[in-house]
Amino acid sequence: MSGALDLSPGIPAARRRGPILGGDPLLAGLVGLVLAAALGLVLLPPAPYLVNTVGQLAAFAILAVSLDLVWGYLGILSLGHGLFFAIGGYVCAMHLLAHAYAVTGTAPDLMQFMGWKSLPVYWAGLTSAPYALALALGLAAAVAFVFGLASFRSRVNGVYFSIISQALVYVAMLLMFRNDTGLGGNNGMTGFSLLFGWPMGAPGVVTGLAVATLLSLAAVLVGARALVASPLGRRMLACRDDEARLRTLGYGTTRLKLGIWCLSAAIAALAGLLYVPQVGIINPRVLSPDLSIEIAVWVAIGGMGRLGGAVIGAIAVNALKFWLSAAMPEAWPFILSGLVLVVVLGLPNGLLDLATLRLKPNWLQRAGPQP
Amino acid sequence: MPPALAAEAALDRGALATALCGDGAAQAKAVEGVLRNSAEATSGDLAWAGTILRALLDRRLACLGESALVLDRAGAADGRDAATGTARPVTGGRSPVLGLRQRALVETASGAASLLTGADVELRRAGLAALERRIATVPEALLLRAASAETDPGLRAGLAAIAQSAALSSADPARRLAAIRAVSEAPSGAAFSRLSALKADAAYGSDPAFRSALDAALARVERAVSIGNGLAVLYNGLSFASILFMAAAGLAIIFGLMGVINLAQGEFIMIGAYATYGVQEAVRRLAPGWLDAYLLAAIPVAFLASALVGIAIEALILRHLYRRPLMSLLATWAVSLFLINGVRVAVGSQNLQFAMPPYVSGGVPLYADFVVTWNRLFAIAFAAVTLVLTLVILKRTPLGLAIRAVTQNRDMAACLGIRTRRVDRLAFGFGSGLAGLAGVALCPIYSVNPGMGANFVIDSFMVVVLGGVGTVVGTLVAALGIGGANVLIEPLYGAVAAKVIVLAGIILFLQRRPEGLFAMRRRR
Repeated sequence: MSGALDLSPGIPAARRRGPILGGDPLLAGLVGLVLAAALGLVLLPPAPYLVNTVGQLAAFAILAVSLDLVWGYLGILSLGHGLFFAIGGYVCAMHLLAHAYAVTGTAPDLMQFMGWKSLPVYWAGLTSAPYALALALGLAAAVAFVFGLASFRSRVNGVYFSIISQALVYVAMLLMFRNDTGLGGNNGMTGFSLLFGWPMGAPGVVTGLAVATLLSLAAVLVGARALVASPLGRRMLACRDDEARLRTLGYGTTRLKLGIWCLSAAIAALAGLLYVPQVGIINPRVLSPDLSIEIAVWVAIGGMGRLGGAVIGAIAVNALKFWLSAAMPEAWPFILSGLVLVVVLGLPNGLLDLATLRLKPNWLQRAGPQP
Repeated sequence: MPPALAAEAALDRGALATALCGDGAAQAKAVEGVLRNSAEATSGDLAWAGTILRALLDRRLACLGESALVLDRAGAADGRDAATGTARPVTGGRSPVLGLRQRALVETASGAASLLTGADVELRRAGLAALERRIATVPEALLLRAASAETDPGLRAGLAAIAQSAALSSADPARRLAAIRAVSEAPSGAAFSRLSALKADAAYGSDPAFRSALDAALARVERAVSIGNGLAVLYNGLSFASILFMAAAGLAIIFGLMGVINLAQGEFIMIGAYATYGVQEAVRRLAPGWLDAYLLAAIPVAFLASALVGIAIEALILRHLYRRPLMSLLATWAVSLFLINGVRVAVGSQNLQFAMPPYVSGGVPLYADFVVTWNRLFAIAFAAVTLVLTLVILKRTPLGLAIRAVTQNRDMAACLGIRTRRVDRLAFGFGSGLAGLAGVALCPIYSVNPGMGANFVIDSFMVVVLGGVGTVVGTLVAALGIGGANVLIEPLYGAVAAKVIVLAGIILFLQRRPEGLFAMRRRR
């Protein structure tokens, strides 16, 4: 397992020590766990709702990793990552509806709702899954590119960037609430019936989706690990810690930030793409600024600047949310805000601090990543 | 006036009472007679007719043979004779039933009686409303008589409008032209649609004088209405900008000083509004006579409530996060989540009901359809006072001096003996208090509920980004710009497009000036 992760043989072992670049047993363990869970779902399938929950949690974990890449490793806190997640989700929903329309002839609800005879022109070609995948990732990256270029070029960063990205997702939400966008408006899109020709609710499809999401999570983790352990990853850290110095040393930080930012957007779109068929609905509420902040909260609670931390945070917070918002919905917001305050004030590196606290008493000597 | 009409003018009370007890045709004929003669009848006759007609409508009329009795309430044991006024028992009487057509006639006639003889304004207003429903059957002389006797300005305006529209469809061309001119003298959207309707009139095609007069009047009204609408848009933009300014001024001061964006700023607005509600309820309990003054009394209370909550949050949480501004975003978001849900649990999530004192209800029609509403003017005036106070505090007080010093160079200010931590805390309280003031100004305009802050907070962030940190003037200009742009674009392309265009504009603007409009010179 760890062999697969050791993707940076060019860096001498001595230089790979340190909080982030050292061999990452936590991440290796997580990837192993994810793969084992995928295998377990196939061999010993539990109840379908449990399978579905595992799949959704894995999609959130991918989303958290995408944010951790730009926040933890590049120092850019996006409060608008829900936008890219939603782009993936919407394109996936469009594909599912177009596919079912082509196969069974049942018109999507939104066509009936708007009284349209055919789907708008930008739905063309979405019956093809590869095109939908390419469109989702490409569109997210393109939107990220335009927004990132405008922001990074004029050196908008820090808190400024965060609140502008929040405004971006807010505006996108208002836009999607309109019914004439051809994307379901207020009601969003739901009623997915077919996935690659198979009925959506069948246990095999549910398991398949969950396993695909878990495998994607493992792949994203390994890929992200390879990235952050590479020379490029070191440049990311340098940029996070002192961008001006890196620029002075002759590195083009705008290009670096822009590239990682677009990559992160594409990964977030992948998460949305995998998430939507599992919940069976997408609507503009995924674009609410609160949800985008929550993504940052998962990362902060898990431990920013550690890929494993993002995964742990996303899964822990969402598992707790699934459980508590059913068991005691009134209390959940208080618990969430309390959790955030405790982590932000007491555990600057999130829950991972608890682990290091016990395993390595000399944690105080390590300079944790400062956002 | 023809003598026959004059003779009819004196009302035969006995005959009317008998007719009302008769069949449908007799009822209709008698009531039409009352309506036709209403302009000439004496007030005493009219008042009497009104009484008996209202009794008929309410089924308080009992018929005993030839005479009719008016009861105090439906089903009473005895009543007074309609014609003579003597009290008599009702036994054996029956209540006449009105057909649909007769009921409408009776309503109109009793409306005419109330309009001409009603003692209080409400009664006359109800009478006019009844007449308006069947305006075609109302004789013009009746409206003229009512207009000459009326004292209430609102009713006079209503009467004039009705008389005017009657004149517009009059058969006499000279009167029509005069009416068109008169309508175009007082331009409004309603006047425009009333005049446009005349284009379908046959005279528009056949009579060139009528045609040119109507076209000229239409052009004049249209121009006035668009100017009035433009003024209304600017006015709404100004009031929106006022709220944005109050929400953003505190945000900008805090951000300039500490580099912290307070995501809970919207909740400080909410706290201010809830404090206002608390003051209203307290005044209602303790001094009901002073209820109208509660908005003014709430100003210091809301400021202090928000400021105290702000200071508490600063002392408990943000103090530890000054070197980690991104984490302070999450922390303040958690605070906002906590405050919203705390209020939701403690008070409930319904909209709060506010009493509207006279100085924030109603307005003055200024030009065409443009009405200066007091509640928005209250917000604008409030923001202006806040602006002056903020400038005075920042430029003329020791605290303001300290805030400016720490904003420019924290380390140097600390070296010179300024207690920067204390300045931070006071400034945070001050900024939060300003948001609380925005909450007071919002009470008469928007609905107040736990989630209200979310509607303003993103716009006020954009104000800070655009205006530049730590400058009140920049905040003011940016608030005016964003508020104005929002309401200017909104009628053209819709509210969503307005937000999209404003955001795109801000991002483009930052390409040129990343520090905002009025960047304060400072060392970091």
